[in-house]
Amino acid sequence: MSELTAQHFLFLSAALFIIGMIGVLTRRNVLVIFMCIELMMNAVNISFVGFAWEQNSMIGQTFALFIIAIAAAEAVVGLGIIMALSRRLDTVDIDQVHELRE
Amino acid sequence: MSAEALVFDILAVMAVISAAGVVLARNPVHSAVSLVVAFINVAAVYLILRAEFLAAVQIIVYTGAILVLVLFVIMLVHQEDLPEFHGGRPVQRLLGFILGVMLFGEVAVGIVTHTMTAQPGPWTPEAVQAVGGNVQAIGQVLYSGYVLPIQATALILLVATIGALVLARPETPKLRVEIPRQVFTISLGHPRGTDQQGRLDDVAALGPGYLKPEAGERELVMAKSGDEFVDQPVWGEREQK
Repeated sequence: MSELTAQHFLFLSAALFIIGMIGVLTRRNVLVIFMCIELMMNAVNISFVGFAWEQNSMIGQTFALFIIAIAAAEAVVGLGIIMALSRRLDTVDIDQVHELRE
Repeated sequence: MSAEALVFDILAVMAVISAAGVVLARNPVHSAVSLVVAFINVAAVYLILRAEFLAAVQIIVYTGAILVLVLFVIMLVHQEDLPEFHGGRPVQRLLGFILGVMLFGEVAVGIVTHTMTAQPGPWTPEAVQAVGGNVQAIGQVLYSGYVLPIQATALILLVATIGALVLARPETPKLRVEIPRQVFTISLGHPRGTDQQGRLDDVAALGPGYLKPEAGERELVMAKSGDEFVDQPVWGEREQK
């Protein structure tokens, strides 16, 4: 490993994605699960930007930009859902949320 | 080992450690702070990968906007002490960890054994330098081939804003408590015939004791509009004095 190669950022991307996935699978707090999903999106972004860097392309960066925009919209809606959930059920425990309506 | 790869490795290790902190921290605020560190490291990785604009966007949008929003929500919602990682659900924890390690193994094998072959794009560092920089290059690509996706993104952001407004709105009480009025006025001058809420039949159902017989001794009140008439003295008040 002398030069920066595709394997570097691919391993970083995979590690971040899988740490986020473990978080989603094991944690019970809705907010922490939400943060882990953001982490997974960042991991995918690293892959896109890394391939764009390797291939001298701009399209990967464009994709990452769109992903960031959609992630912002997703964050807004997701946090709104969490607010409504905690207001209605008074909990952030994902295991206590069984049904969509009372 | 080149300096670039060395810096990348340091940033990657820090990003992975802080990402593990997101998952392992018990307090959600600690998770959020850990996530800030991870995002800043990812932004630095973008800088190494020659994506300066994306690094700035990453700092502004993720650590500036989304994480602040997450911290606000953490403080707004009621946090209880969940027993995760401290005695609760060892099976779920173990299964998640095993699944993660297995998936990482598969991906690692894929990364090591496969090499990507593709036609390199036109944006060499020299070409990017020729148009003026990363921002100019990404703008050229974005606004020549991706105009429709940009419009769709704008629409999605608008819909997300409206959706968040609807979702975060305080819940309206489902059952409005009816407070019965004891004193009300029946008049042709009122737009609805009476200032009581509801139908006039309900008024008649109250019984004869509640209704004053017509052509009583009450003086005539001239009212130009219904709103003005509401302010006039009503029967109940007259009877009390």
